Amino acid sequence: MRSLPQLLRTTSVRLTATFILIFVVFSVLLLGIIAWQASIQIQRQQTADIDREVRLLQRIDRTQGLRGIAVAVQRLANQPGPGIYYLGDRAGLFLLGNITDVPDQIIFEPGVYSFDYERPRPFDPDEEGEAERTQGFAVVRSVELASGLRLIVGRDVVERRGFTAIIIQAFLFGVAGILIFSLVAGGLTARRILRRIDTIGATSAKIMSGNLSERVPVTPRNDEFDGLATNLNAMLDRIEQLLQGLKEVTDNVAHDLKTPLTRLRNQAESALRPTADDEQRRQALEATIAESEKLIRTFNALLMIARAEAGAPSGAFAEVDISAVVADVADLYTPLAEDSGMSLVTRIEPDVTLRSNRELLGQAVVNLIDNAIKYLASEEPREGRIEVGVERGVAGVRIVVSDNGPGIQEEDRQRVLQRFVRLEKSRTEPGSGLGLALVDATARLHGGTFRLEDNAPGVRAIIELPAR
Amino acid sequence: MKILLVEDDREAASYLIQALDEAGHVTHHAADGETGYAMAESMDYDVLIIDRMLPRRDGISIVETLRTNGDATPVLILSALGEVDDRVAGLRAGGDDYLVKPYAFTELLARIEVLARRSSPSEAATVYEVGGLSLDRLSRKVERDGEAILLQPREFRLLEYLMKNAGKVVTRTMLLENVWDYHFDPQTNVIDVHMSRLRGKIDKGHATQLLQTVRGAGYMIRD
Repeated sequence: MRSLPQLLRTTSVRLTATFILIFVVFSVLLLGIIAWQASIQIQRQQTADIDREVRLLQRIDRTQGLRGIAVAVQRLANQPGPGIYYLGDRAGLFLLGNITDVPDQIIFEPGVYSFDYERPRPFDPDEEGEAERTQGFAVVRSVELASGLRLIVGRDVVERRGFTAIIIQAFLFGVAGILIFSLVAGGLTARRILRRIDTIGATSAKIMSGNLSERVPVTPRNDEFDGLATNLNAMLDRIEQLLQGLKEVTDNVAHDLKTPLTRLRNQAESALRPTADDEQRRQALEATIAESEKLIRTFNALLMIARAEAGAPSGAFAEVDISAVVADVADLYTPLAEDSGMSLVTRIEPDVTLRSNRELLGQAVVNLIDNAIKYLASEEPREGRIEVGVERGVAGVRIVVSDNGPGIQEEDRQRVLQRFVRLEKSRTEPGSGLGLALVDATARLHGGTFRLEDNAPGVRAIIELPAR
Repeated sequence: MKILLVEDDREAASYLIQALDEAGHVTHHAADGETGYAMAESMDYDVLIIDRMLPRRDGISIVETLRTNGDATPVLILSALGEVDDRVAGLRAGGDDYLVKPYAFTELLARIEVLARRSSPSEAATVYEVGGLSLDRLSRKVERDGEAILLQPREFRLLEYLMKNAGKVVTRTMLLENVWDYHFDPQTNVIDVHMSRLRGKIDKGHATQLLQTVRGAGYMIRD
């Protein structure tokens, strides 16, 4: 499991945190704008109410005299609610209202004021007993009436503040809710992503520690992680296959190169034998050189196969006239075939081109014709016939080399494609057992296939290369 | 011939120097790239044999610098890297021939003798002649003692290459590379069959055999 600082560094956690932050900032802005607008609206409403009452009372003052205004103010003052009323005589002395303690400045100078005051009574009429005095905050308008009386009309805004407080409270709860919700959701998302990444990480750790058969689990959800896992697994399959191939090669090389090396050594030793005369020494040394020549060829063939299997550099690929390459090889071998009493026939479609590696393809065809000649020659005398063909198929190019020689048993046809595999009857023939392995590797390098078929009698070797 | 060998493997170098000496050539040796370059610059050689991978300075860079300085001394590059791409890189840098290790000494000897400009016939010659045999590169006619010989196109190119290098040994690999443009590995006797057919056409019925087999090395045409 990860420590907290480690967890905070992970991409998924940081992404989640960023989104939560953005979300909260926007929510705060939105709720703030709503609260602000609401409070402005309430304030406007109250100011309008106050102005309306002042105008009403001024009219009553003008039309109904002292008695009328006194009754009106008293009635308003007795209503429950945030209303504040003060009626004073010409000297400003309190006559009636629900507030007594008003600063002189407000009484004598008309205008709009706000001030702290002691609230004389609870607004709740149901509540009995001694009036509880509480702190209030008033917004008022002071006027001098036509009759010379002083009138103050206002509203207690503690209630308005209460409303603002409610909005802020709602707002805080909202933000807290949003924060908790996004933390939980974000945490779950991050954990899910982390867990899948950790699975991949754990698998690669196991592979690094040596268990190459380990694979990343793929879920049926088929999401991007599964896509990644599938690709990783395909890559691992390929690596495992390459390593397996390498191991086989190493084993075979060890086995199949030690035999000729031993022969080489024996020949050199026999040249050094004290009883050997000059002629024997010369023969032994010539045999040594011939043997090392064979080893070099084997070695070159191995390197060529390894290159083909590793995937040759793309620079080695060019547009190649397959017809010309195959015709050239056939032309090179025709005299040899004829001298060995065989016929070499070509059926080559002209101008078949393909993006490919000329060297490898040339060597592959050489190996196939070489093989055909070798096995036809090992047969009891009869009319040997080799057919070399190139044709353009629907999907690409087909190169076919067929003979009417002894053929290869069906159960051996796959096996002979492996490195150093030589069938019993060819053990005595010259060769390294690498020819067909190279043909196979070359076909696969080009994304194609190589197979051996029964030519009844003989072998039909088919290289199929897809057009790119 | 005066030869400069730039090779860091002491054992290989001393063997080559001795063998070249027995073949009648004077060989100077440099064991690293810088020394080799300095020697190639300061003295006049007929052929340079340069290993590709050298201490202090690699062979390709030596050849490139020599060519930039207008030095056209023939160069044979030796290398363990035998891929077509490596070969192309070596020849593009200005190498005249490229020989992959491990090689047979006869192969190396044949190649430097063909490379040496001193004994080369003019590239521009349109008619090659050896003994009574003549080959006209333009009209593509081959005659021996005034008698026309009919050759297949491939046989013509084979003979052309041999006659261009008349008096010098030409190996089977050189024939494969220069006549067939193959850098891969067919059975060696494939070439032998072609040669015996060619011999049948140019030497049959004549007292002097112009096309000779050099045991353990290759072929040579001479009178």
